[in-house]
Amino acid sequence: MSTNGSRAFIGTLILSTVFASAARGQDGDQWTRPGKDFGATRYSELDEITAANAGQLRPTWTFSTGVLGGHEGQPLVVGETMYVVTPYPNVLYAFDLSEEDYPLRFKYRPDVNPAAVGVACCDAVNRGAVYAEGKIVYNLLDGRTVAVDAETGRELWKTKVADLTSGETITMAPLVIGDRVIVGPSGGEYGIHGWLKALDLETGSVVWTARNMGPDSEVLASPDTFKSFYDEGTDLALDSWSGDSWKRGGAPVWGWLSYDPTLDLVYYGTGNTGPYNAEQRAGDNKWSSSVLARRPGDGELVWAYQFTPNDNWDYDANAENILTELTIDGQSRNVLVHFDKNGFAYTLDRATGELLVAEPYVHVNWAKRVDLETGRPEVDPEKLTGKSHGMVKNICPNLEGGKSPASPASYSPQTGLFYVPTNNLCMDWQSDEAAYIQGTPYVSANVPYTAGPGGHLGAFIAWDAATGQRVWEIKEKFPVWSGSVVTAGDVSFYGTLDGWFKAANARTGELLWKFKVGSGVVGAPITYRGPDGKQYVAVYAGIGGDWFLIAGDVRSDDPADVRPPADFAPDLARYTSRGGMLWIFAL
Amino acid sequence: MDLRALKPALAVALLALAACEGPGTAEPEAVPESRSAPLAVRYDQWGSAGNLAPPAEDLVNPFGEDASAAQQGEVLFGAMNCDGCHGGGGIGFVGPSLVDGRWRYGGEDGALFHSIFYGRARGMPAYGGILSDATVWQLVTYVRSQPVPDSVPTVRWP
Repeated sequence: MSTNGSRAFIGTLILSTVFASAARGQDGDQWTRPGKDFGATRYSELDEITAANAGQLRPTWTFSTGVLGGHEGQPLVVGETMYVVTPYPNVLYAFDLSEEDYPLRFKYRPDVNPAAVGVACCDAVNRGAVYAEGKIVYNLLDGRTVAVDAETGRELWKTKVADLTSGETITMAPLVIGDRVIVGPSGGEYGIHGWLKALDLETGSVVWTARNMGPDSEVLASPDTFKSFYDEGTDLALDSWSGDSWKRGGAPVWGWLSYDPTLDLVYYGTGNTGPYNAEQRAGDNKWSSSVLARRPGDGELVWAYQFTPNDNWDYDANAENILTELTIDGQSRNVLVHFDKNGFAYTLDRATGELLVAEPYVHVNWAKRVDLETGRPEVDPEKLTGKSHGMVKNICPNLEGGKSPASPASYSPQTGLFYVPTNNLCMDWQSDEAAYIQGTPYVSANVPYTAGPGGHLGAFIAWDAATGQRVWEIKEKFPVWSGSVVTAGDVSFYGTLDGWFKAANARTGELLWKFKVGSGVVGAPITYRGPDGKQYVAVYAGIGGDWFLIAGDVRSDDPADVRPPADFAPDLARYTSRGGMLWIFAL
Repeated sequence: MDLRALKPALAVALLALAACEGPGTAEPEAVPESRSAPLAVRYDQWGSAGNLAPPAEDLVNPFGEDASAAQQGEVLFGAMNCDGCHGGGGIGFVGPSLVDGRWRYGGEDGALFHSIFYGRARGMPAYGGILSDATVWQLVTYVRSQPVPDSVPTVRWP
């Protein structure tokens, strides 16, 4: 226990009430940030749709995006306009919700470099935009951040932040905090040197760049500011790497950002360490597979916690960090809750990084437990990988994660529960020596997938993050790869890879309603109040992301690419094919 | 833009041109050494402007079907990160399958050499300059040594 941690915790107690009101729905009718609010809860105060009437939901409108890539992320609703960002080529549509048929106000078609498609590891996805001060801000696959006038669609600025030739693309949704736009790169499979940047909202100029690993001067860690609960010292993110392996060690930032206005800290997860062969990068490899807390003003690192030291299994920690208050052991705590790819659900004190709860939310065998005293996992040595280990059998969860970071969970303060899409997959793993060739994959592993125990490949679960327990689950035939939303009507929505959009009773897990939306769902649903006063629910259909790579033959657009069905999920291509569609539902 | 979409239109235009000029003119004349633009490069066996063979078309793999060259190529396929996009064994991942017997840009020796050496616009990096000619040919030998199904247009579930 560090004394610094205690001091910061007192600060949290004083200011916690202020945060509670700020984090939850600034404007309950709209959806202006990727995760709904700064706390990324994806909770809506709307309650017209309830467990009693959800069975009467019906589609009210659809729109084909004209794009086939995986439709991850979510639309935004600002006032009477809905904004949709497509996968590459990253078209921005603005629909007028106040008129029948929702005609377009504008569409913005950026000139995106097609070479980016070959540098994106896992389909040319985009996880959405953010709205702030009259601007729609989002990222282009080829490494640029753009701001577009929300009224006119006019391009206000465009800044190159990532370098394609170094293996960097951008797929994440930015967050605007005050006058700062926060962005990070994809490229954990391309030997990038991961970073987070802040841009000025008015001009688009880069204000600061913070590396996720390297010397303190590049990581923006100073002894005055950096007070981590489990780690102290200097150059931790340099000395925990063998040789100069940190220079191409990955740690991308392709997930979600959250922000605590009281502590003035932005939270983000870093991705896997590269290459997959861990023997080429001995050490903990800080701060890959970690959560970092930085000051948005100057980027200074305040604390960090590593979920998977010396990542042997591609366990990215890019999953959302949901901010709320929970009562743990009789004490009210301001927490950050994170469902890691490694299969553990972590509840941390978000002022200090102290680990409060860490329990497996899916079947886990790479580690026996996480030690709350040290914060470190107790790894099963039989499950360690690396070239010298040969083919290591039966590691759970597999590298798709217990939950995909691309599929954000939601949290209801009414039920006190988290609603989590999960995968039930395991893997074998064989690493080989990887050669770094700039701009090409830096991976070298053969990783066959297998089904997890129980005969189902996924489940949608409700999780109590105060005790670390599963409250209910809905088993699914295929991995659940959509995000979720939960409402004050106690209804939680999610989608499935075989193309169903479903509503569940948030308290009981009873399935209330389902509708076939065509292509598999890898996007995150939202809910909002339309100009007519009614509550609507919107979601993308459009299978893709990793499922574009691994699902076998789910593409029909390329006659020169025909694959057999995936051996671990041979039926999936039977139920779905690619194709982007926006769906809107109401009572 | 997908170049292949243009091909049928181009082919029709070329046929029309040939018809106008009468018999015997469909055969293109030798291109003078002095022309400023490089020879047209066609991406598959149909529709190449002027019906000129791309420079790589006539290249012949010096290794032929040599098994040890194919084996070297297999090692390179992992070592040079080809499997990072095309999947282990070339079964397809973020990049297309190389073992389905179907080709965006042609599956002959010269076309494969071209794809690896110069890259392709939809994401294939150019390895010319990183790999020697001989090394590229080893990769070509490996890819061509992979068993390819005769035709797999139908997937059927029981």
